[in-house]
Formats: sequence, C-alpha cells, structure tokens
Amino acid sequence: MSQPFIQVEGISFEYTINNHKTVPVLENVSFDVHPGEYVTIIGHNGSGKSTLSKHFNGILKPLSGNIYVDGLNTREANLQREIRQKVGMVFQHPDNQIVATIVEDDVAFGLENIGVPSSEMKARIDFALDAVGMSEFRKRPPHHLSGGQKQRVAIAGILAMKPDCLVLDEATSMLDTYGRRDILDVVRRLNNDGMTIVSVTHHMSEVAEASRVIVIEKGQIVLDGAPREIFQQYELLHQLQLDVPLASQLARLVHEYDNEFQADLIHNEEIIQEVMRLSAKRGVYVG
Amino acid sequence: MREIASFEFELTRNITIGQYLPTGSLIHRMDPRIKLLAFTILVIAMAICDTYVGNIIALAFACYLFYMSRIPISYGLSGVKPAVPFILILAVLQLLFYSEIASGGTVFVDYGFILITSDSVRLVIVSALRFIEIIFLSSVLTLSTSTTQITHGIESLLRPLKHVKFPVHEFALIITIAIRFVPTFAMEMEKMMKAQASRGAEFGTGAWWRIIQRTKDVFPIIIPLFNVAMARAEDLVLAMESRCYTPGSERSIYTKYKAQNMDYMALLFCVLFTVLLLAFPFPY
Repeated sequence: MSQPFIQVEGISFEYTINNHKTVPVLENVSFDVHPGEYVTIIGHNGSGKSTLSKHFNGILKPLSGNIYVDGLNTREANLQREIRQKVGMVFQHPDNQIVATIVEDDVAFGLENIGVPSSEMKARIDFALDAVGMSEFRKRPPHHLSGGQKQRVAIAGILAMKPDCLVLDEATSMLDTYGRRDILDVVRRLNNDGMTIVSVTHHMSEVAEASRVIVIEKGQIVLDGAPREIFQQYELLHQLQLDVPLASQLARLVHEYDNEFQADLIHNEEIIQEVMRLSAKRGVYVG
Repeated sequence: MREIASFEFELTRNITIGQYLPTGSLIHRMDPRIKLLAFTILVIAMAICDTYVGNIIALAFACYLFYMSRIPISYGLSGVKPAVPFILILAVLQLLFYSEIASGGTVFVDYGFILITSDSVRLVIVSALRFIEIIFLSSVLTLSTSTTQITHGIESLLRPLKHVKFPVHEFALIITIAIRFVPTFAMEMEKMMKAQASRGAEFGTGAWWRIIQRTKDVFPIIIPLFNVAMARAEDLVLAMESRCYTPGSERSIYTKYKAQNMDYMALLFCVLFTVLLLAFPFPY
C-alpha cells in the first residue's frame, strides 16, 4: 500500500469550559488516509467528528498524539501554510466562508494569501470555477447565489490552491436536495481525478458514495470499513443513533421475505438491478 | 388595528449600498483609482469655491456627468431628496447666526440679533448648491463604480502608505467584508423580525416621537443579531485561516488596474476644471 497521505496517530483532544471543567472530545484516535481515498466520517451530533476534521489542517492541534499530512506534523507552526495548501477545507455554512464581494475575487483570496504571481492567477481561477461549473457566475456578488452555488464557490476557492486533499466539514448539511447533489457530483469528479476526499457528514446517502467509512462515537472509532460492510451492522448503527441508506433498509427488508434477494445493497441502482435479475431468473419480465 | 404594509420586513429590498448601474459608458470604464482621485479633487474644488457663478458652473458640470455616464438624473435627485430637510435647517441657521462670519456687503435686515447681509445670503445659497453638487457627484461615482472596484481602488491608492506601516490590505479587507455581509445581515434581521412578529412583537408601531419605546422595540432584534454576528465572525476566521490567511504577511494581488491615456486625460481635465473654478475671478 502507498505511503499514507494523512496519518492520525493516537490523538486526544478536549475542550475547556470556564477554565476548569474539561470535556473530552477525542480519545486516542488513530487511522490513516491514503492518497486517492474517499473517506466519510459519520457519527451523531457531539460525537467529535467535526473536531476531528479540524485537526487535518492544523486549525486544532491535538492535546496528545500527532497528525502528519504528507509527512508534515501539524504541530509545527512554520509548516502550517504548506499543510493548509495541501489540505483544503470546506465548512458547513455557505455564507460564512466567502470573503469577497464578487465570486472571482473570493476564489483569488487564497491565491493572494499564498503569494501566487498575478500572471498565473487568472488561469488557476478559470480552472477552479470551471471544475465546479461556476464560470458564468464569476462577476456576480455572492449574495445573489443559492446555497449550493455558494458552496461550489467555496470549493473553487480551495481548488485554485491546488490541494491534494479536500476536507468537507458537513458541507452539504445546510443545502437543499439539488444543492447537495451538485456538490456530490463535483466531489465525485474530483475524487475520480485522483483527489483525496475526507467528508464529515450525517447524510447516509453521501456515505454510500465513499470508498471507506469511519464511524465515530464518544470520541472513538467504533467502525472502519467499506460502506457495504458497515451498513450490514444495522443493529450497532441503530444503537449509535445512525441510519442506513434507504436502499440498504429496503434490501434488508426484502431479504427477510426472500432469501435470494441480496441484503448488502447500498445504491438505488443496485436495487433495480437486483429486481431485474431475480425477475428474469423467475421468468417475469420487468421493464 | 394599524394596517401593516406588506413590505415592512423586506429589508433586503431597501439596501442602497452599491447601487451600481452598469451602462458601459466612458465613466463606467474609467480606472477606479483615477475616478476616485478625480472625485476627491472635484469635491475639494466644490467645497472651496464660494462664488455664485462658480457653483452654477460646477452644478452644470455635475449634471453633465449624469448625461456622460448615461445615468438618469432622477437617481441624483432621489439622493438629494432625503437631504432637503438638512439643507433647509442649515440654511436657516446660517441665515440667522452666521452674520459675524459673513458681515460684509449690503445689509438687508438688522433687527435685534438678526443681521442679514448680502454676504450671508450668498453663504446660504452657495452652501445649498454645494450640497447638491456633492450629492450629484457621489451619486455618479457610486452608480458608475461597483463596490468591488471602489475598495480595490482605495486599496491601490493607499498602497504607498504601507511604507509608513499603515495596514493597507487589512483596511481594505475590513471594508470588503463589511460590504460583503450587509445583505447577509439584512436577511438575518428580516428573518428575526418575522419570527418575533409572529410571536406578537411589534416593530415601529409606536408614534415617531416616542423614541424610547421605539428603541426598546428593536432590542429583541439587536441582541440576537450580535450573537449571530459573533458566530459568523468565528466561522469566517476559520475559513480564512484554512485558506492560508495570515495577517501582515506578504500577499500577491489579483486585480491590477492599468490606467489608459483616456484616464489621464480625464484627471487632467478635472485638475484644470478645479484651477478654473478656484482661480478665475468670477464677478459674483
């Protein structure tokens, strides 16, 4: 296996409230993210998933343990800029991450910060806006955009900096169905082009997209594996107040009636294919 | 029961910041830095010029700018309208109490402490004209220049101040973020007002002289608005830091303006106009 891109080595973290009370958020968490992986981190509210994601680019530093991004320790202040260039982060609230009064300037913001020469900027901005399908909006003010469009601009602002990894911290949770679908399309395309994706979410339909799922509860990893394996642990997920995707629930229910129907389906298309397969086998024509 | 206008909570509709009106005229296409410089020079000229003829020429010039930028002059007039009470109050005060400064010329009225002379009349009329000229001029500026261009323009004009440790970029960033969040907060406030109103709160229903009551009405909005603003600011800081923002560090610049010959001509014209306005001995 390749050299891991993000190495999380036994990190712990706690918040201090009112100077004396401490609340542990992460306890001895370790895992690796390899280049080109699409990892989702799920867990219910307060499980520590968002706190974990803020460690990936050094916004938060672990109390104990270490995180290495491409071999660079996030604790070291002089590596911070390099790390944040490698790991871009998109946050939950579409409105709170756009700094400029027009789209194009906002995409330029990160480039200006890392000192990209002006002659190179235009090409990079064109590329980034094109990658998220927002080129025609480049001169628009952000408040005229929908939530999904704003989020795509936020992604463009990060893509322009040419990161190796994109971290989405519940980036779709404030969006409607269409906005969410647009973002997922963009993310899937980026992943196909080789970008490492880490997505923190509580939407199960997004989890099915990923190549790997990490389930987190009370600051610890409880499950780690491919989505198909994870969704088989229905009982455990239920205990953790997590749902499984509709397709998965459906497959399980049908499986209880008919053993031949596979129980480990997670995509809507797979359900259709399975129904077609079984019908054809039993001489019923569907379609 | 007072009838509530349907637009009472539609704050976003009334935002006038950045009322940019793109017509693609020569003035619109000017380099914003030069435009800001020319604007400053003209405002100074209008503020100093104190002759009738000079001010009428300046007013005519301000009107001509509307024509040149292909912006209907009604936009300028609607800018003057809210200023009319101030202009009138100022005029009355100047007429009655400025006689010590402008005591020359023919005496028209001398009754007790009231002394009206031809000089004080001139002061009143010239002040009113100045007001209108400057409102016209700034209307043309804001209608023909987007807020983004204005902040970029200010930033690059102030850039030399960096040598004396003035945080030019930070200053420009503050303005940009402030402008960026005006519509966001207006929307936020709209939501809160609707939420409070649906639970029986009343906004602006008291008579206008009950200032304390009307101020109290706003508190249920102001406090949560502050709260929200703080939360947003926190988020924004994280997002900015994630994109490698470090205050005070060296940055490159995306938007660069290149002044054309036409821009320099316009600037030169404004300087000449100013010299004419201030140096020419107008008879009145």
